[in-house]
Amino acid sequence: MNRSPTSLVDAVGAGAAAPAARADRGVAGSIFNIQRYSIHDGPGIRTTVFFKKCRLRCLWCQNPESQQELPELFFNAEKCIGCGRCEKVCPEGAITLRDGRSWTDRARCTGAGACVEACPQGARSLMGRVASVDDIFQEVSEDAIFYQESGGGVTLSGGDPLAQPEFALAILKRCKEAGYHTTLDTCGFAAWHAVEMIMPYVDLVLYDFKHMDPDKHKQYTGFSNEPILRNAKGIHHELKVPMRARYAVIPGYNDGEENAAALADFIANELDRSVPVDLLPFHKYGGAKYQRLDRVDELAETSPPSEAALAALRDIFLSRGLTAKIGG
Amino acid sequence: MNEMSAIDRLNDNEPAAPLQVTPRLQRLMAKVNPKSYPICIEKARLVIESYRAHAGLPQITRKALAIAHFLDNRTIFIEDDELIVGNIASKPCGLEVGPHGPTWPEEDFKSLLQSGYEISPEDEAELRALDSYWLGKGRTFYERMGRVYDDERIWPFIQSGIMLPPWAKKDEGRGHGITDFGWGLTLGYSLIVVDFEKVLRHGTKAIIAAAEAELRKLRFLEPGGLEKAEFLQAVIIAHQALIRIANRFAKLALDMAGREQDPARRAELEEIAAICAHVPEHPARTFREALQSFWFTWLMIASGTAAGGRFDQFMYPYYKADLEAGRINPAQAAELLAMLRLKVMHSNGVAGGKTQRDKWSGMAKWHNWIIGGVSRDGKDATNDLSYLILDAAKLCPTPHHTITLRVHDGTPQDLMIKALEVVKLGIGLPAFVSDQSYIDYFTGEGASLEDARDYAIGGCLDGQLPGKSRTNAMGMFVVPLVFLMTMNNGFDVRTQKQLGPKTGAFEDFATFEDFFAAFKTQLRHFMELAAEEHNILLQAQADFFADPIHSSLMEGAIEVGRDALSRAMPFENGAILNPVGMINVADSMAAVKKLVFEEKKVSKTALKQALAANWSGFEDLQKLFYDAPKYGNGEVYVDGIANALYTFWSDTARTFTSIYGGTMKVAGISITSYGPAGSLTGATPDGRFAGENLADGSMSAEQGRDLKGPTALIRSAMTIDQRGFQATLFNMKFHPTAMSSKDDLGKVAALIRTYFRHGGKHVQFNVVNRDMLLDAQKNPERHRNLIVRVAGYSAYFIQLNAKIQADIIGRTEQHFAGA
Repeated sequence: MNRSPTSLVDAVGAGAAAPAARADRGVAGSIFNIQRYSIHDGPGIRTTVFFKKCRLRCLWCQNPESQQELPELFFNAEKCIGCGRCEKVCPEGAITLRDGRSWTDRARCTGAGACVEACPQGARSLMGRVASVDDIFQEVSEDAIFYQESGGGVTLSGGDPLAQPEFALAILKRCKEAGYHTTLDTCGFAAWHAVEMIMPYVDLVLYDFKHMDPDKHKQYTGFSNEPILRNAKGIHHELKVPMRARYAVIPGYNDGEENAAALADFIANELDRSVPVDLLPFHKYGGAKYQRLDRVDELAETSPPSEAALAALRDIFLSRGLTAKIGG
Repeated sequence: MNEMSAIDRLNDNEPAAPLQVTPRLQRLMAKVNPKSYPICIEKARLVIESYRAHAGLPQITRKALAIAHFLDNRTIFIEDDELIVGNIASKPCGLEVGPHGPTWPEEDFKSLLQSGYEISPEDEAELRALDSYWLGKGRTFYERMGRVYDDERIWPFIQSGIMLPPWAKKDEGRGHGITDFGWGLTLGYSLIVVDFEKVLRHGTKAIIAAAEAELRKLRFLEPGGLEKAEFLQAVIIAHQALIRIANRFAKLALDMAGREQDPARRAELEEIAAICAHVPEHPARTFREALQSFWFTWLMIASGTAAGGRFDQFMYPYYKADLEAGRINPAQAAELLAMLRLKVMHSNGVAGGKTQRDKWSGMAKWHNWIIGGVSRDGKDATNDLSYLILDAAKLCPTPHHTITLRVHDGTPQDLMIKALEVVKLGIGLPAFVSDQSYIDYFTGEGASLEDARDYAIGGCLDGQLPGKSRTNAMGMFVVPLVFLMTMNNGFDVRTQKQLGPKTGAFEDFATFEDFFAAFKTQLRHFMELAAEEHNILLQAQADFFADPIHSSLMEGAIEVGRDALSRAMPFENGAILNPVGMINVADSMAAVKKLVFEEKKVSKTALKQALAANWSGFEDLQKLFYDAPKYGNGEVYVDGIANALYTFWSDTARTFTSIYGGTMKVAGISITSYGPAGSLTGATPDGRFAGENLADGSMSAEQGRDLKGPTALIRSAMTIDQRGFQATLFNMKFHPTAMSSKDDLGKVAALIRTYFRHGGKHVQFNVVNRDMLLDAQKNPERHRNLIVRVAGYSAYFIQLNAKIQADIIGRTEQHFAGA
């Protein structure tokens, strides 16, 4: 695991952040991507802001570069020609040449990014940057005319935006002021006061359910699902924010009939049959990312679920009178 | 084919297709994409025979007699399963050689035969013998132009390649050898949409009667009476010949019916006979008759650019009447419309000269059927046929005829979705155009609002008022060549000549503004030469391509009594100046401005050396220039330059007069000429190597330089004031996953509507998978049906040349995974 500085302030202090993090430009936060024409993350044409930082550590995480709050080094070994320019510029002395390729001691890497600039092959990149609310708002506003036409808007995803609640709140407020539809994609693992503070600025929640068994949830993600289920009920019944349930189907982990039935029952009985369900099949696009982070992909041997399996799972939800579809 | 489409099936997003491909359609479809195409010489033989017999007669008379001789003597046949009849070439799917000049030179002919065309030795010998009519006589179209090209000014310009393609010899022009597309004598270099209703509603007998009445009325007391009489006589001769060939088809069908064993087919043949005995001479009474009458008429005007006009509009009354009378149902109509697509597929042609063929890669043809849009009174004009024409394309996913959907605020979303479902098939059609932008263009040029609302498309995307307007002589002007000449003080490195004025050495420009001003001076100089070339061409073609048939289908033809090419149309686009590679110039300008003049990171000398060395030894410099701001990413810095360039182009063109009165006009359409144009162009400061393709279209980004997704690309295109352009071209390529569900299609529709609401004029899509294209390059046999959108037309991918194939693959693929 990465022994990077542990907070944003450390990072900014260490000079890892872009100039955008200047205090006078408002609250800043850590993101790793802004995806335009995002069409599977809520209604209409959207821009999705991918937050860094997530408290859960799902074994099957498909955006592992989003887990840490601070920028992380992505290394594409295939592109490396072993020229050694990165070795010379690393302020931490974290890089050495091994077998004709550069090797980074992740324990010493602070994500300063000097090697990224130096690499002539584009083999090194930094995942994540610190951005101000102003910057983000300006960037997402460029596509405002498309939101207007399509009924789209801005989606915060991640990571988990609830892991940087003040930052998420500030962006959502600005978006609502501008009249954009807002969507929050979250696993719901957060303190209730944070949820309560943010939800008035959210038009739609995409709520990820990992597993219904508290022990299995702890085993696969590091934490129990108890606060997640509680927050889901609170969002639905008290705060009354429209919700879509999202169920990432991971073969061998949460694709059992029993688990699907428990989730379907939870939605039908504890929430409401009006909450639609999206079954998101596990895919293999995340695998290469683990390699580039020098991490082990725990699900390297896992294959996407079959069409038949997905259809059977979907039918469990349909049989409870729920709306369910495959794909986001 | 891909993961998402399987999921769509699971979600039941795709409704069961209400329309089925009938066995008849299947059999007809199997015929249109043969392994090789026969070259036919019958038309050249008959037309030249007639020309020889009538040497010395007035040109319009000779044309009418040639049409009559050809129609009376040509081979006709009705194929099994056909309901709409009228074969184009003398053999199915044939390439009918055009009687407009000598045939392909030996070398060129060989290369043609190697690329899937065939001819018997006897026919080849006869074709060669026909060349004696042209060679050494000085009577070809190009020779007439070439004779006035002076060695000081125009000839070096013609050789430079700024107007594509460069001519090698004054008497060969763009290259010998050309094929025809139909029964008429072509439209020359005109893009028009004829008034099909003249024939459908009144019959050709009404045109003949009007010409006869006008002749009786004619008194020879004013100048021009003789020409008018000759023109009217020619109209009568040609239309009578058209009626005769329709009657030949009627007789043939009846003869075949007499021999037919199958009673069902016998009844069909008898119906065909009855229809051909009635139309086009008389007004059409049913949808079937209207289709047959349309087809005969279309054959007479068929060229590479013959349009179908506002097909859903003028055909609808016939469909509606049949539907109400119970004579037809939607499935039958869709099948007939699909059969019409297949008739058009039999219209095959290639250009003469290899460069010209590269310029129009993939048997280019622009047979554009228009649907949707507003009516003359501004209401949504969508009707059942608008949908059925799209259904026909779904049933019969051939690259031709192409379809263009006119979009306005009131275009039903269902029509947009259906259109995108066709796009999703990967056949590259329909294209989408903005009513607002096209109507603004016409009213801005003085057309009435009602007329403007009635526009259709002739050619690629060129707006035309049916029966009332014309676009001419759309040359391909390679702008980056002028940019490089500006860097070299007016000197052309390729031809080693001082072609432009001396506007100063690049090293001496103190500011970017000075350099930009020098470029404008150079550009204006060459645009003026291009305007002269266009006017020469227009005057030469007025005589050479005179044609009584298409002339008679334009407004006021009989009253005015002149061939269409010898008079101005009610709405005249005159000649068009059309830039290729303007976006390369915008990107180059932005890079030079930023790196050389503002940041001074690179010296002027170093840049010139790097370009001269084609970046060899200057790789770091190339990366700097490659990474400079590029059009297509929604960056004002470079988009503003692109807009300034297009605006200058448009304003400057309007300072030159066309021979039809009024000024030159502008379009931004490069077809596939960005390939050969790139071959002529040295390394440019956008980071491009010498010889690489230029940016396609006019609003598209350079290949692979738009990195921020479709919304940013569209925002760049919105920056450009497109209203003064009679057409612009904007290609987007989508991976199938971005157009998977109906919901996705709704989002693409929103993209289109947003673009059009903010000044966009046109957009079209390629929905193909990169791997599929790569595999098609390696294994063309497996992908004979793979269709891509090239420019204003779709083509079979394997028929495109390697350079254009590479370009299609290279155009940034818009691929968006969900989080």
